Amino acid sequence: MFKTEEMEINLGPQHPSTHGVLRVKLHLDGETITRCTPMIGYLHRGVEKICENKTFFQGQVWTDRTDYVASVSNNLGWAEGVEKLFGITVPRRAHYIRTMLTELNRITSHLLWLGTHALDIGAMTVFLYAFREREEILSIFEAFCGARLTTTAFRIGGLREDLPPGLEKLVRAFQARFLDCIDEYETLLTENRIWKKRTIGVALLNAEDAIALGVTGPVLRAAGSNYDIRKAFPYASYAEMDFEVATQTAADTYARYLVRLEEMRQAHRIINQCLDGLPEGPVMAKLPKVLKSEVNEVYHAIEAPKGELGYYFVGEKGGQNPYRMHIRAPSFINLQALSKMVVGRLLADVIAAIGTLDVVLGEVDR
Amino acid sequence: MASPRYSLLRTLIPFDIYGGMKLTGKYFGKVLRQANRGLKRTHVVVEYPEVPTTLMPRFRGRLQMIKDEQGEVKCVCCMACEKICPTQVITIEKGKKEGRKTPFPIRYDFEMERCIFCEFCVESCGFDSIILNHQFELATYNREDFSHAMEGGFQNMFDPTPVSHYSVSSED
Repeated sequence: MFKTEEMEINLGPQHPSTHGVLRVKLHLDGETITRCTPMIGYLHRGVEKICENKTFFQGQVWTDRTDYVASVSNNLGWAEGVEKLFGITVPRRAHYIRTMLTELNRITSHLLWLGTHALDIGAMTVFLYAFREREEILSIFEAFCGARLTTTAFRIGGLREDLPPGLEKLVRAFQARFLDCIDEYETLLTENRIWKKRTIGVALLNAEDAIALGVTGPVLRAAGSNYDIRKAFPYASYAEMDFEVATQTAADTYARYLVRLEEMRQAHRIINQCLDGLPEGPVMAKLPKVLKSEVNEVYHAIEAPKGELGYYFVGEKGGQNPYRMHIRAPSFINLQALSKMVVGRLLADVIAAIGTLDVVLGEVDR
Repeated sequence: MASPRYSLLRTLIPFDIYGGMKLTGKYFGKVLRQANRGLKRTHVVVEYPEVPTTLMPRFRGRLQMIKDEQGEVKCVCCMACEKICPTQVITIEKGKKEGRKTPFPIRYDFEMERCIFCEFCVESCGFDSIILNHQFELATYNREDFSHAMEGGFQNMFDPTPVSHYSVSSED
C-alpha cells in the first residue's frame, strides 16, 4: 500500500533564489538530495560567436553583458587580452586607474553577493545596507564612464578619458566610511546564531576537489589554497600594490563569507594605495588607426570577483576581428561544484550552496 | 578565540540579536528623527518620479545631432560612427547641398531600440557633430517611435525626445 520512491523536482528557472535563470534538477529521497544537475542555457546569446564578427574595439561592449555585476573586470580582461595580443604597452597612470576601478567593482560584486545570499538564507536587513554602499560605487562608475552597469570603461591601449574632476573626492568620501560599513554587516551576520547555523559546515568543498573541478576565486581560497592571480601572475598594477590574499581553511559557506568580507577590506586597501600613488602622465597609448592582427594566440587571465576570468584570442593574418574568442567564465566552471557540494545534504542547503558559489547566469551561459 | 565561559554566556544571552537590533534601531531612529523636519537628510532613498534625479556630466543617454551657430548640420558624412557602431543602428546617406562645401547627410537614421548606449559613435566622431544627451526616460508605446531621422521621421535627431506622460524630468 505504501511505497517509497525518489522524487525529481526542479529548482528554477524562475526561482527567486537561483539569481537568474538557473534550473537545478534535484533527485530527492525524503529531504535528502541524491542527485543534482544544474541545467543551463536559458540566457545563451552566443557572445563568443558574436565577437568573432566584431572588431577588437567593438567586442568590448559584449563583455559588459556577460558578468553584468562585474562588468569592469570583464572590460579589463578583454582590454588586457587584446593588448597582449598586439603587444601594446599601457601608460602607468591608466594601469592605476584601471586597478582602482576594478577593485571598486570587486566591492560592488561582493556587496551584491552578500545582500542576495543573506536574503536567500533569511537575513533581510543586510541586503538594504549592502545596496546602500553599492549605489555609491555605481555613482562613481557613472561619473567615470557614464553608465552604471554596462560600463564599457576601458579602451584598448588605456582609457578613453582621464578621471573627471571631482571623482577622487567621491572615491575618498566612499573610502572614509566603507570600513565602518563592513563592520555593520559583520554586526548583523558574523556572530548571528541563525546565520552560523545555516552556514557553518554547509556546502563543503575541500581544496582537492576544488582544484580537480577547476574552481577558483573565493570558493577555492576558503578551502585553504592561496591561489590568487593578482599575486600569482600580476596584471595591471597589482605588482606594485601591497595587499594580502584572504584565505580560510574551513571550506564551508561561512568560510567563504569570511573570505569575501576580507577581500572587500583588501580591495579598500588597494583603492587607497591607487589614489595615493596615482602617477601623472597620459592615459592612452599610441595606437595604429586600425588594429590588424598576426597569426597569434593569447590567453590572458585576471582575478575577477568570482574567480579566474580568462580571455583567449586567436588572431588571423590581417584580421580586424578575432578568429576565435573564448571566455573562461568563472561562474560557469564554479557551478560544476554544486553537485559535489549538495549531494547527501538537505534541500535547504542547495539555496545556500547556489548563493555561496556566487554564480551570475549571464556569465554561465554567455 | 573566546574563552569557554564567555561562549557559554553568549549562548545564554543573545548578544548577537541585541547587536543587530541596535544597528537597525540606530538607522530607524535616525530617519524617523529627520523625517519632515527640514533637517539635513541622511537617508539614501531618492523620491525619483516626483523629484528629478541628478545625473553625472558624462551620463550616456540618447544620441542627438548638433547644429552649429548658423543652424547648419555639423555632420560631414565621414561614416566613422556608422562603421564603429557595434549594433549597426546608424545609417547615413551621403549627399550634396547648395552652398555647402562639405558633404551633407541626406539621411541620418538612428534605430534606438537596438542602441546599447556605448558612446563609441561620439568617440569616433572627429567633428563633434553628435552627442549622447542626458535623457534616460525613453520608453514609448509604439515601436515606430524608436526610429529617429533627420527630417520627416517619427522623431527628430536634433531635438530631445518629447517628454512623455509618465516622465517628469525637465527638457534640458
